[in-house]
Parts: sequence; C-alpha cells; structure tokens
Amino acid sequence: MTAFSALLSHYRRHPWQGIALALLMLMATALWTGIYHLTSQARASLSQSERVVEARYQVQRVDGAALSVEDFVTLRRQGLCLMPWLEVLPEGESRRVIGVDPLAALCFQGQADVVSFDGQPLRGDPFMDIADAAALPARQAQLFLIVDPDTGELSADYRITDFSLAPDTGQLGDSFLLNLDALSVLVLLITGLLLRSVYLLSLSQRRDSFALLHRFGVSPRRVRGHLVAELVGLAALTLMPGILLGQLLANALAGGFASVMEGLFDSRQFVTSGNSWLMPALVMVTLLLLVCAVDWLIPEKLRKAFAVANRSGGLSLLLLVAGGAGVWLAANLLFLFGSVALMLAGAGLLMPWCLSVLSSRLAQASKQPFRRWWWAEFGVLCRRLALPLVALQLSLAMVLAVQALVTTFEATFDHWLGQRLSADYYLEVPTDADGQVAVDWLEQNLPESSGAIWHRVLRGQGQLDVSGHEQSVDIFAVAPVGALVSDWRLIESAGQPWQRLAAGQGVMVNEQLAYRHELAAGDSVQLTLAGQSLRLPVLGVYPDYGRPAGEILLAADQLPDDFSVSFESFSISPGEVDIEVITEALSALWQEPALTLRDNRSIRDLANRVFEQTFMLTRAMTMLTLVLAAVALLLMGWVFLSTRLWYFRLLAVWGTARTGIFLSLLTLALTVSVSAAALALPVGIGLTWVLVQRINPLAFGWSLPLDLYPGFWLELLGLALLIGLCIGLLMRRQLGRPAVRPSVTGTITGGER
Amino acid sequence: MEDNVLKVRGLRKSFGDRDATVPVLADLSFELHSAGSLALMGRSGSGKSTLLNILCGLEQPDAGELTLFGQDHRQIDWQQLRRERIGVVFQEANLMPALSLLDNVRLRASLAGQPESRCQHWLDVLDIGALAQRFPDQVSGGQRQRAALAMVFAMSPSLILADEPTGSLDRVTADDVADSLFRLQAETGCGLILATHDPELASRCEKILDLAHQAADQNTGQSGL
Ligand SMILES: Nc1ncnc2c1ncn2[C@@H]1O[C@H](COP(=O)(O)OP(=O)(O)O)[C@@H](O)[C@H]1O
Ligand SMILES: [Mg+2]
Repeated sequence: MTAFSALLSHYRRHPWQGIALALLMLMATALWTGIYHLTSQARASLSQSERVVEARYQVQRVDGAALSVEDFVTLRRQGLCLMPWLEVLPEGESRRVIGVDPLAALCFQGQADVVSFDGQPLRGDPFMDIADAAALPARQAQLFLIVDPDTGELSADYRITDFSLAPDTGQLGDSFLLNLDALSVLVLLITGLLLRSVYLLSLSQRRDSFALLHRFGVSPRRVRGHLVAELVGLAALTLMPGILLGQLLANALAGGFASVMEGLFDSRQFVTSGNSWLMPALVMVTLLLLVCAVDWLIPEKLRKAFAVANRSGGLSLLLLVAGGAGVWLAANLLFLFGSVALMLAGAGLLMPWCLSVLSSRLAQASKQPFRRWWWAEFGVLCRRLALPLVALQLSLAMVLAVQALVTTFEATFDHWLGQRLSADYYLEVPTDADGQVAVDWLEQNLPESSGAIWHRVLRGQGQLDVSGHEQSVDIFAVAPVGALVSDWRLIESAGQPWQRLAAGQGVMVNEQLAYRHELAAGDSVQLTLAGQSLRLPVLGVYPDYGRPAGEILLAADQLPDDFSVSFESFSISPGEVDIEVITEALSALWQEPALTLRDNRSIRDLANRVFEQTFMLTRAMTMLTLVLAAVALLLMGWVFLSTRLWYFRLLAVWGTARTGIFLSLLTLALTVSVSAAALALPVGIGLTWVLVQRINPLAFGWSLPLDLYPGFWLELLGLALLIGLCIGLLMRRQLGRPAVRPSVTGTITGGER
Repeated sequence: MEDNVLKVRGLRKSFGDRDATVPVLADLSFELHSAGSLALMGRSGSGKSTLLNILCGLEQPDAGELTLFGQDHRQIDWQQLRRERIGVVFQEANLMPALSLLDNVRLRASLAGQPESRCQHWLDVLDIGALAQRFPDQVSGGQRQRAALAMVFAMSPSLILADEPTGSLDRVTADDVADSLFRLQAETGCGLILATHDPELASRCEKILDLAHQAADQNTGQSGL
C-alpha cells in the first residue's frame, strides 16, 4: 500500500464525504461555466462580427424602405463595389447568422479580411454563404449592403451611412454583462470558501494518518503533494461533467438571455464559434489550487499578523468602513464592485469574530455549568464551521439582495407599465394620414360624459444643448395632457407639474436623461426643435425602465409647425363607446382599411415576459449558490459534529437523558445555522441598497426605491432552520451508534476547543 | 449503607448476530462490598470494558443476575444512578475540551446535584488547583486524568468504574495518579472497580478478577461506549 492509496482510503471509509466533495465541485463548475458561457458568447458575438466590418459603410434607401436583391443588382450595374450582408434569425434560434457573398466581396481592394471573413470558413458561426442563409426558415431577416464609397457615384435614391453592429446603447449591454461578471465572481468566491472548508476538514480528519505516514518516513512535503494530487484528480473527474452541465445550463438559458440582450439593450446576438471549455477548466483548477495553496502562499508571519490585527475585530471593521466609503464615492462600476468586494470581505471576517465573542461572553455569563458548556460548544462549532458559515452568510445576503431588487423592480416596473399603458388601446396613425382629423373626430364624438379618455402622442427628434454640446433626444409631445398621464409617478417634481406642462410652461425628462446630465426639477433646458430654440424649465423627472435613450415630454402645442413627426399614435380608453365604432370611423376618415390597433394588456404581458427572462438568469444563479452553500454547511456541520460524538455520549455516561443530549445537539445546530441567517440580514440589506441605489444608477441610469421584503427574510430563516434541523436529525442517528474514542496520537481529533 | 454494593451471578454477554455470536462474558460471578476494590484483569479484548459498561447500564447482559445497591438491574434507573452514584473514568478524553478544568468539574458536580463550591477543593486535593482555569489541551495527560478523578470525586460517588485510567500514562505519572485514586477512594469510602492489564496496579486492589480465561480474541479494536 503506497502512501497515496493510504490517503485515499479515507474516502473509502467516508464515501459520502468523497461524493459530496465531488458534487460540490461539479455544481460549482456547472454554475460558473454557465454564466461564463452566456456572457462570453454575448461579448464574442459582437467583437467577432465587428472585426470584419470595421470602418465600413453601407447603402440605404432614401425613402427608408428595406433593401432588396433588386437594389443590389441596380447598384452593381452602376459599377459600385458592394457586398451583401444578410442577417437571419432562424426559426427556433435565439441568435443570428450572417449570410455573405465572398465573390462579391472580392472588389474590396486590399481588404483581404472581407474575403476570408476573419479567416473563418463559412460554417454559420456566424458567417455562412448567403444562398444558404437565405434558404433558412427565418423569423427575421434583414439585408444590408456594404459598400466601398470610392468606387462610384450613387443615384439620388440612395445614400451612404456608417455600418456598425454595435447599438448606440452599447454600454448598457456592457453594464448588464459586467453585472453578471460581478455576480459570477461572487459565486466563485463562495465556491472557493466551500472548497477550502472541505479541504481543511479532510485535513483535520486525517491528521492521525498524516502523523502515521510521517513516522513511516514520508516527508510532510510529499504528503501535501499527495493531497494536491488527490484534489487535482478529483477535479479531473468532476470538471468535464461540470463544464458539460454548465453548457447545458447556458443553452437552457440562452434563448431568454439573447432576447433580453436584443430586446432590452438593442444588442444583436450572433452565433459564435464553438463552446470554450478551456477557460472554465482553467479557472476551476486555479481556484482549487489556490484553495489548497493558501497555506504556503501566504507566509506564516503574515497570517499571524493578520490574526492579531483582527483579534478585536478591528481589521474587519476597517474593511467594512473602507468598502462602505468606496461604495458611497464610486464613480464607475469597476471601482464600485471593488468596494463591494471589500465590504463583503469585511462582513465575512466580522461574522466569525462576532459569533466567537458572543459565545465566549455568554459562556462566561452563564452561571449554570451545563449552559456554559453549551455556549462553549457553540463557540467551537462556529469556529470550526467558520468558512461554510461565511459562505452561507454571503450567499444568503446575495439571494436576499437580488430577490429584493427583482421584486422591487417587478413591482415598480409593473406599476410603471400600468401608468404607461393606462389606456385600454393603442392606435397607430398610418404614415400618410393626418392625425388632426382624428383629433377633431374624437373631440366631437367622444364627449366627456361617455367616460372615454384619450390623448395623441407625436414622436420625433430634438436637440438638447447640455453645457455647450448638443445631444439628440427623443421627443414625446402629448395632447391633451389629461388623466392618462397626470397620475404617473414622478421621481421629483415642481409644484403642479401636469397643469404647467399642459399650459406649455415646461417639460418633463426621463430619469436616464436626468441622471446623465444631473438635471433636477426646476433646472432649465435648452431645446432645439426643427431649428427653433426653446428654453424651458424641467417640471418633473419620470422613471423609465424600458428605454435607455434620453427622452423629453412636452405638450403638443409647443411643437413648431414644421417639426417632423416620425411616429404618431393615439391612446384611447373608450369608456362606454365600442372601440370598433372608433376604428371604423377613423379608418373611413383616413381611407385606410386596416388600422394597427393594439390591446395594451397584451403589450403588458409581453413586457413582463421580457422582464422575467432578464432576471431568470440572476435568480437561478443566486438560488443555486444558496443551495450549494446550504448543502455544504449541512455536510460540514454533520461531519464535524460526528467527530465530537464521543463528548456528547460522555454526557450520557454522566447520566444525561438521550433526549436531553439530542436537544442540546439540535439547539446547537439550529443556533449556528440561524446565526448565519441573522448575520446575513444586515449584509443583505446593505447589498440591496448598493444594488438599487448605486449599481443600477451607475450601470443603467435608473434607480429603484429601497424596498425590503421581510416575508422573504422569513423564508430564508426557514431554510436556515431546515439546515439546522437536518444536521440535528442526522446526529440523532449517530448518537445511537457506538462512538469512537478520540485517539491520543498528536492533536486529538474532534477535541478542538 | 448496604453491605454489598454489587452482586453478580452467572452473567453472560455476547456480541454479533444469530449467525456469528462472539461470547465475551460467560457465566461470570463476583461481588463487591462497600468501600471494597476489585481489579478486572485480562488482555485486550477479554471483555473488561464490556463488563464495566454493563455495570453502569450502558450495555445490557444477555443473562444472569446483577444487583447493584440492593436493586435488581432490571429495576434500576440507570440514568439517575450514573448521574449521582456511579463515577466512570476512561483511559482518556474524560473532559469536555471546550471547558476549563474547573468548569468540567463544576459541570460533573452540578449534574450529580452536588454543590459547586467544593469543586476547586477537589482540584487542590489532586494537586492541580493552580491549573483550574486551563483547558484540557493546555495540560499534560497525567493532569487530565487527575482532573477526571476530581470530576468523579466531586460527584461524591458510591462506586467508581475506572477503565484503564492510567493506560496511556508513563510509569511514574501512572503511579502518581493511581496513588491519588486509591488514597481518595479510601478517604471517601466508595467502591472501586478498576480494569487494567497491569498486574502491579491490579495488586493494589483487594480482589482481582481475571477475565483472561474467558473467551478472548486478538482484536485490539477500540471499545465503544
Ligand atoms: N459493541 C460491540 N459490538 C460488537 N463487538 C463488541 C462490541 N464491544 C466490544 N466488542 C467485542 O467484545 C470483545 C471485548 O471487548 P472489550 O470489552 O472492549 O475488551 P477489553 O476492554 O478487555 O479490551 C472484543 O472482541 C470486542 O471486539
Ligand atoms: Mg477496554
């Protein structure tokens, strides 16, 4: 029997520990791989396709119609160098492919990359032959024509514009991905804590075997080498299945994810080449090695100094305060995430310290010896389980914060949607029709007595002059300003904002615009509409969770006559009148047989669906992490208490009733797990605040009210109780079996204090 | 006080299931009068620990009569007896690791319903009074066994069951601890049953019961509680 197999025999005696460790690795790998895939694919999707089209131009029709093959033929005849670029979203897929024609691209001089398409064969990741792409059953397809503008003159029907894949709102999509990155780092941290605690446990359980091996002449270095080999072997066994599982997870979530990226952030998602397994494998192996190597990497002196510095909790408080200050002052997301990391580190260090102080104080304060024993034992348990406890605390806090964010957002978003879609119907004005005709008809035929309410919305572009430089903003002009808007929730407002808006005495701006340019109610904005300059006060700031673009709302009669309206619609709640009466009349007036009328309820459903997909990923991730941490604590608690079984049975030898012993075991386990939950609460609330008040404004330009959901706290408390209860019940089974007396060699296993 | 603390007649105990039973104790008879001392001898696996376990109710005999303090073993409230009258000392790990020596003694005394005020006294008597605030891992093996004795005497027992109490100590320390045990046993007048494979230690008891002739195996496995 070699030293190595002697070490491995530990798992033969404790198969559950081996299995649990493997499962832990597997789940953590799967989780991390899943997230990594989604975010890296989203990033690769753009950069990969973008390399090909860098600094290129496209042809567009002046009349705004979509391009077709005929346009290609016409322009080609005029002698232009053109390349067709067909983006297809195939049926049943969530990401696009790009159809290209390498032959047509040959005319691009000295731009070989266009021909070779970044050196990639045309396999559909994302580039494929245009004929194949056109043959795909498509949900959506759009043809672009990429042009070399130096090769000829364009006829008047066409114009040349920049061709870019990145949306204007690109940085929003990036923020979203960055948020996910931060979350995955947190998951990695928690996983690291759990792995470390399992490693330490297996170390302490095998101290006797190590001492024995040492006596047989095996050097400590070799023993450690074997240990690392054992863990790497374990990783080899679990990594690949974990990565595969993670890829399955990513694929399951990919559809929702891509539709979020496209729908919410206007970021087109393309198929990317291959699923990378290398990165997750590297990250997990590195994590594992770090977890084992911390002891050798950090010099003994430094660790001692660290322990001394934190003896009175000073260091953790310092970290907490520094992190808090950083969060308060952070001006960009990376700095903010760094500060949050500091805060969490502080909280994680503070918790074992708190529990340790609490237990020793209470032990000292207990007059009754049995109670004193109980508190002393509680202290031991907290110290021995510090790592899994901190992991549980952090994941509970994370779940708490994410849950509060999502629920708040859900409620706020729903409320907001309700206001935005407060009319029953939404009617588009056809392109050539005159909206004023409809206004006249509605004024005559829908008297107030009918209970009907409506307003007309004109949309277009305006220029906002912010400290010297012009920015284009979306204009929403409303008339009449009435009940459909006047009970919108405003983030801030001047007195009687809606009356003043109706009277043309000012404008409202959306939150994104206000946040970006630090506009507040009472400030003035310089606005240029159709060449006409206006200076108006800001009457209010309204939240807008759907659109990242800057928006200005004003009364329609403020618009200059030659303002070019890009889109016009009516919002109508018909009251007692049948909506069909209205549509029929307008359709006749506009001489347009088919009007586009939408039932706002269905729009609301759609928006809610997109919303749910946005957070499904975050929710799934945090929940899985919580399960991981809970299982880990359960396991470690059980294993550690098992090593202390002798002392519990000693109580039986001293005449304590079995039920009494079981009860003290149970209360110990329950108190430990509930303490983790209780201490997670302040961290969770802090994290919630950071999420809604700091991260979201920085990342997306909107903030949310800080709502807390005590009902959910109770659920998590229930989970903590469940963990404690499971540990207690597992121990009860153990109590019935003969306990092994701790051996005397070396340090007594399970005899820690 | 009853004259006979303990009376055992035809005691039998075997382990294992129906297919393979291992007889450990076969037809064992002996008695112990109050303040008497008895040494259980025999090599490892001869059933010393098993017998002690039966004598404090942690294990049930298969057959035979056992009378303790005049009560039949089937009528005894073992829990109460272990709490208040029978003190058990093992070879090691007799102390709660998270409590100081003094708190350990207090815990044992309070379970037995004895005043805690005498606890320091017992540590003093056993020459470890100065170590009262130390934790078990901060003192030597001999000092730990002394503390274990202090715990037992603090409950003011009628009978002490000691399972190789000096088994893991060196000769000199073992003798010191044994001296204290026999001295205090004589002073307090309680009964003592001591399991040992050390003939010298056994010879200090009034009587010796040799289990060596009993069924024994070479199994040196650690015994269960
Ligand atoms: N709970 C048990 N189940 C099965 N066999 C046991 C049990 N306890 C002790 N034995 C066996 O009984 C025999 C006597 O053990 P023990 O009383 O511990 O001997 P000693 O204390 O004299 O060394 C040994 O063979 C041992 O393996
Ligand atoms: Mg024994």
